[in-house]
Order: sequence, then C-alpha cells, then structure tokens
Amino acid sequence: MKRRALLVGGLALLAATAAHALTYRDMTGREVTLAAPPMRIVSLVPSVTELIYALGGESRLVGRTDFCDDPPAAREKPSVGGMVAPNLETIVALKADLVIGTTDGSREETFSQLRRLGLPVYLVTVNRVAEVMDLVARVGELTGRTAAVGPLVARMNGEIAGVRRLVQPYRAPRVLYVLWPDPLIVPARHALVTELIEIAGGRSVTDVDGDAYPRYSLEAAVAAAPEVIILASHGSRAGPVVREKWERLASLPAIRNGRLYSVSGDLLHRYGPRMIDGLYQLARAIHPEAFR
Amino acid sequence: MEFAYGGAEGRRPRSFSMAGLSLAVARGEILGVIGPNSAGKTTLIRLVTRVLTPRAGDILLSGRPLGRMSAWELAREVAVVPQEAPPALRFTVEQLALMGRYPHAPARFFESAADRAVAEVAMAATGVLELASVPVEILSGGERQRAMLARALAQEPDLLVLDEPTAHLDLRYQVACAALLERLNRERGTSILLVSHDLNLAAQLCDRLLLLAEGRIARLGPPAEVLDEELLRAVYGCEVSVDINAAHGRRSVQVAWPRR
Amino acid sequence: MVPTAARLALVLAGLAAALLAVAMLALLLGSAPVSATAVLRALTGRAESGSIESVVALNLRLPRIIAAVLAGGSLAVAGVGFQALTRNPLAEPAVLGVSGGAAFGVVTGQIFGLGPTILAALGLAAFAFAGALLAAGAVFAIASAGSALSIQTLLLAGVIVGIFFSSAITVLISVLDFNRLGGVIHWLFGNLAPVPPGPLLLFALLTATGFWLVLGQARALNLFMLGEETARQMGVDAERLKRRIFIGAALLTATVVAFAGPIGFVGLIVPHLLRGWLGQDNRLLIPTALLGGGIFLLAADTVARNIVAPAELSVGVITAFCGAPFFVYLLRTRARSLL
Repeated sequence: MKRRALLVGGLALLAATAAHALTYRDMTGREVTLAAPPMRIVSLVPSVTELIYALGGESRLVGRTDFCDDPPAAREKPSVGGMVAPNLETIVALKADLVIGTTDGSREETFSQLRRLGLPVYLVTVNRVAEVMDLVARVGELTGRTAAVGPLVARMNGEIAGVRRLVQPYRAPRVLYVLWPDPLIVPARHALVTELIEIAGGRSVTDVDGDAYPRYSLEAAVAAAPEVIILASHGSRAGPVVREKWERLASLPAIRNGRLYSVSGDLLHRYGPRMIDGLYQLARAIHPEAFR
Repeated sequence: MEFAYGGAEGRRPRSFSMAGLSLAVARGEILGVIGPNSAGKTTLIRLVTRVLTPRAGDILLSGRPLGRMSAWELAREVAVVPQEAPPALRFTVEQLALMGRYPHAPARFFESAADRAVAEVAMAATGVLELASVPVEILSGGERQRAMLARALAQEPDLLVLDEPTAHLDLRYQVACAALLERLNRERGTSILLVSHDLNLAAQLCDRLLLLAEGRIARLGPPAEVLDEELLRAVYGCEVSVDINAAHGRRSVQVAWPRR
Repeated sequence: MVPTAARLALVLAGLAAALLAVAMLALLLGSAPVSATAVLRALTGRAESGSIESVVALNLRLPRIIAAVLAGGSLAVAGVGFQALTRNPLAEPAVLGVSGGAAFGVVTGQIFGLGPTILAALGLAAFAFAGALLAAGAVFAIASAGSALSIQTLLLAGVIVGIFFSSAITVLISVLDFNRLGGVIHWLFGNLAPVPPGPLLLFALLTATGFWLVLGQARALNLFMLGEETARQMGVDAERLKRRIFIGAALLTATVVAFAGPIGFVGLIVPHLLRGWLGQDNRLLIPTALLGGGIFLLAADTVARNIVAPAELSVGVITAFCGAPFFVYLLRTRARSLL
C-alpha cells in the first residue's frame, strides 16, 4: 500500500516537473528549453514587438530595441540598445528569461554571448506570408496569448484575400521595387516584399534567386522596362533627390506614365500586423484603378 | 694584435673589387688609410668588421680568422666609430657609452655595475664625463664625436677603427681629436686604423700610411715614403706639392688651386 | 639617468597600481545598475551565482576588462617594436599591413558564417591569423632582398599590402548580403566584448609569446637605433633581431585583430607618451608599454561602454577620436624629431 502510494507520488512529481520544463523549437529549427513559460521577454525584433502588443501580451515584455517604435506604447519599455550590438548588461539587469532575436541583420555572436550567460534565445526568420502567420502563432504561444492568435490571423488572411480579389481582374504590370537607391538594392525572390507585390497584383522585375536583398545594376533594372516604380522610404518620406534621380529616366514606361510612388519602408519590411497596411499601399500604387 | 690580409677580395655592388691586398696592422700602431673616393677605404672597414666577407683569402685577428669568430668576440676586439652619428638620438651620453658594453655580456638585460665603471672610464678618457646626462642630439659635432668614441672605447677593443673622424669637425675639434687619438694610442696601446681624407692629419698622426687606389695598394709605408709628390699626383689626378718641415721632418700636402 | 632593474621595477609598480585603479573603476561602471557593494560581493565570491551582480561583474565586465588590457598592451608593445625597428615614429601596426590582412581574414570568415561557438570563435581567430600571416609574409617577402631585410622597403611594402587588403575588404563588403553588412561593419570599427575563459586564455598566451619575442631583443634594439651597420659592428645579429621583432609584433597585432577587430592609434599614442616620460631605452619602453597600453585601452573602452549607455560606442571610435587631436598637439609642440 505504502509502496504504491510512493510510486504514484513519484510519477506525479515526475509528471509535474516534466510539465514545467518547456521546450520550444524556434524558426531556425533550434530547440529552446525553459524551466517555465517566459514572463520577462526581451524583444530584439521590432516586428515581434509589434506582434506582442497586437496580441495583448505586452505585460510579459520587459525590454525592446531602439527601433521598436510601434505602437507608441512600446517606447515606454526600457531599451537595450541597437539590433546589431544590444547591451548585454542591460539585458541581464532586466532579469530576462527569454530573448527573441532574428537572424536577419544581427550578429551570431550576440546570440552566443547571450546563451553563454544562460539566457535562452529564440530566433525568428520570416520570408513568406505563410511564415508571418506562423510567427503570429509562435509569439502567441510564447506570451501565453494563443487565444488572440486565431482572430488576428483570420483578420490578416481576410484582408489579404480581399486585396487579391480586388486586383484580380487586372493585368499584372512589371514592378520595380527599390529598397535602397544608391547602391541599388532590390528584393529578390525570397524576400517577403516580392510575395506582397504579387498579392497586390504586380510582377517584380527583380525576381531572381539568391540573397533576399541583392545589389542590382541600374542597367538591368532599366532594361526590364518597369511599368511601376516603387521607392521605399525609411524614416521620413523618400527625399526629393531620390525621386528626381528616377524621374530623369524618361524612357521608362513607369516614368512616362507618371507611375513613380513612395511607400513607407517600415510597413513593408516589418512582418507584424502593419504589413497589411503596407500591402494596401502597394496595391494602391500598382492598381490605382481598383480603388476608385 | 695583428691584422693580416692575405690576398683578400671584397665585392661591393657596382662591380668594385679589391684584390691582392696584403697588409698587417701591428700592435699599438696607428695606420692611416688614404686614397680617393671609391678607392675602397670604406670597403676595407667593412671587411675588417665583417660586414662584408672576402671572396678569397682570410682576415686574421691576432692570428685567428675572422670567419670563425662570433659577432660578439669580434666586437670585443674591434670597435668602429662611424663617420656620422645618427640624428635624433635621445639617449644620453652615458647611455650611449654603456651600449659599448653589449658584446661583453649580450645575454644580460641591464648593464652591471662593472659595465658602468668601464663606461665611466671611457667617458673620462674622451672628456665627456661632465656631459653624461646630456642627450646626444643636443651636443655639438665635436662632443657627439667624442661620445661615439667613448662608446667605442667602452667596448675595450684592441683595435679602434675610425671612419673619417674629422670630416665634420671645426678646426679646434680636429686638433683635439688628433690629440685624443694620439693619447689613447700612447696610454692604452690601442691600435688604430684611421680612414681619412685629410692627408695632413694622416701625416701627423699615423705611424704608417696605406694609400689605396681602385681597390689596390698603391703604397704602404711610413708617411715619408707614401707622401710622395709624383705618387700622389698619379693616384689623385691633380697637382699637389709636398712640403717637408725642416724641424720635425713631417710632411704636409698642398693642393695647387687654380689661379684666379 | 641610466636604466636599471630597480628603476624599471619602480615604474612598473606605479603603472600596475594605476592599472588596478582603472580596472576597479571599469568594474563599477556600466549600463546595469549594480551598486559598488554588490560588485565587490560578486568579486569576493559572496554573491549568489546567477545573481545579476555576479553575472554582470564576473561574466560581462571582468572578461571584457581583461581583454581590453591584453589588447591595449599588445598593440602598444607592437608599436614600440615596429617604431624602433623602422626608426620611424609613425610606424603603427596598422601601417605595416598586418592588421589589414587579419581584418580581411576575419571578414572572409564572417562571410562564411563563422561566429557562434567557442570552437568557431577560435576558427575566426584562425582566419585572422591566416590573414595576418599572409600580409606579414607578403611584406616580409617584398622587403627581403636575398637574406637581408630592408627597413625602408618594409615600410613601403607595409603600406602597399595594407592598401591592398583594405581594397579587398571593400570588395567583399560590396557584394555582401545586405543583412550581414551591419555585423561586418560593426566588427570593422573594433570592439571589445567579454571573451569566454577558454579563448581568453589563448589570447593571454599569444600576448605573452609576442611580448617575449619583442622583449628579448630590447637591448639589441637600442643598439639598432644607432644604425644597422653600427649595430652589427657591435655584435648585434641584425637579421635575427629584425625577424624576431617583426614576427613578435605581427603576432601581437594579429591576436588583437582576431579577438577585438582592428583598433588603431594605441600603437602610436602610448609608445609616444612613454618615450616622453621614460626616454628612448627600449628595455624600459617595452615592459611599460604592456601596462601603459592596457591602461589606455581599458580607459577608452570604459568610456565607450558608458558614454551613451545603453548604446555602446566602438572602442576603435574612441581611440581614433583621441588620435587626430593628439597628433596635431604633437606637431605643434615638438618641432624636432618625434623619435
């Protein structure tokens, strides 16, 4: 009798401890193990910060980067510095139990330093719309807001489907998207923006294999005779200097027909809920006729 | 101490060669090496200090071949005072003199008290002891010369080699230098090998002269023999006249300058 | 004033005390709000392991301080060595092409995705050495005519090799994926980071080796400053001296670049300040440069870490900021030679 009680008790204990050790698999396939659900999360990814707020999980957020500026409420959380070299001391002082980072634009060394200090690191990487939805689900899981995931994903998918329907009757023009004018940097096949352009009813002329954001030769871009040119602005609007440079290329169909647009880079290169706003901007630029 | 060349040949770039050199520096002697430029005077110094090696023949130091000696052994026996002290030396005179102790204990990091004593004696001998803490770079030409000489003396060599010691000195310092060398030779018995353009200095100071011309010995012997008008004319290619002082028998060489 | 062992010991003791003081300050200053008493608790082992003060003081600040001291000392000693060897006060490790080669090696390594684990960190250091060896070898080969190393050619060769590798780095950067650019450029500014214990030990060993090579030639180096021919006539083995100084200084430079990226001006400023204070005797300069360089870079890094907290400046930015005005000052106050 006593022995059975002991056995049951032992099993229960085992089950209890097992339930407390959480293992996640991050988006690079790596296993991240925590003793308990994360309560003090430091986000090194502006998109993830946005999603945390969108899902209502901000009570678990204790730190962000200088670039995490949306929503405005995020600015009230302590900053740990930049994305390339965040301040390790500040992260430690915040008593973080999970750090969320991205492999795009950061250094591996930052993450290995954090792991060496005993901080679990959860890495994300997003290149397709489907991965954005996956990211929403993951952030929901990490912040304990899984209930909010479904509605958000549904809303986003619904908007995306809506845009598709809107532009479906029209022919897809050739689109040149300029991430950075000088040197000319464009999105390639594996960039998220390329898929968004396709959803918005356009065809990117720089749809090549390889790096997500390669340097491109101006000649090649011109030779593709884009019908729509979209300039990404970072921070403030695309400066007049940049527009002027493109306006001089009078031979391009895009310039002849006055189809040179600026869109906000923040909206299109972050993969949070505002991606939808960015999508609308793209659609309005590529198919203004669909919005009259 | 003896320096003997047996048919040494040295090579300098631009195909200069010395051949058939055979001479010996006797212990306690002052030997002057004179001759026109590119006659091989500097090459001779380089051969003696093993900066260059002869292609044939041996150089012997007190009967030992130069090639078999270590650099330190050689530096303990032969010390060179170069023509020019390098510029911008912030070392003090004392520090410079102490450098001469290197070949005696190269493995030591700092010099010993015994080293400092030798350096002091050397500085006293050349009259720069009061300038011991003065940086070399602010000394006058003559003082710098004497500081370098002190450094050479600190090596306690048997042979002192000087390359154009009076080349950049005022008359006063030239006289002082000659007196100093003469005294060192007399009091310490140091052999001196002196390379000089100054024929009169050489005449006054040296026991024997070696006249070099195009890498070969033109004449070797006491000044009376070597400072011969016809010989000098032939070697230097200009008009000279040699006056013999009746009282001392010393010779002085005059150049015939072009008339105005 | 004749340098003696006693005098050296005195100067070193003074510098060691200064170093300790700066290190203490560096331990107490940082972005994390940790009180002085907490830091002291951590240092004496009385804090809980895993507590903030323990992690910050022992895992973040202390390793970084040690790395800064090693890096600064290495660069200063390499500077003294190169300057005495070339008889040129502007001979900085960077000018001799070695740090350019090491930087090229590391950029290449980063492009191939090296970085994370300790093993890979060593791999990155290995890339740095490979690059440094390549550069040093090229400079050496260009400057050696037959068996003798020509100092004048050494300087020119160093500048040329340095320019070559700079261009190579630029080429690599220009074709690099946009995403990885930030990391590489960040590295190129020179940054000190807390180095884990294993690599830190390696860092220390390499520094010791390079220091040993250079120190061994200190006395002969003094004689070498009288002129190469004169030094040889005084018994100095000139070829061995040149080789050892070059290899020692190159090793020191490559090590620093491998662990902290290219950091400039330390090898120029610190030797110069020391020469003003202690004179030209390399037997005094080389050991004091090890400590003096450590103090200098540690101070610079502490400023870099704290001045715009929580953001961090690169330490290379601070040293560069000091470098230019320093030389203007030098040129104006000392019209005479700088060596």
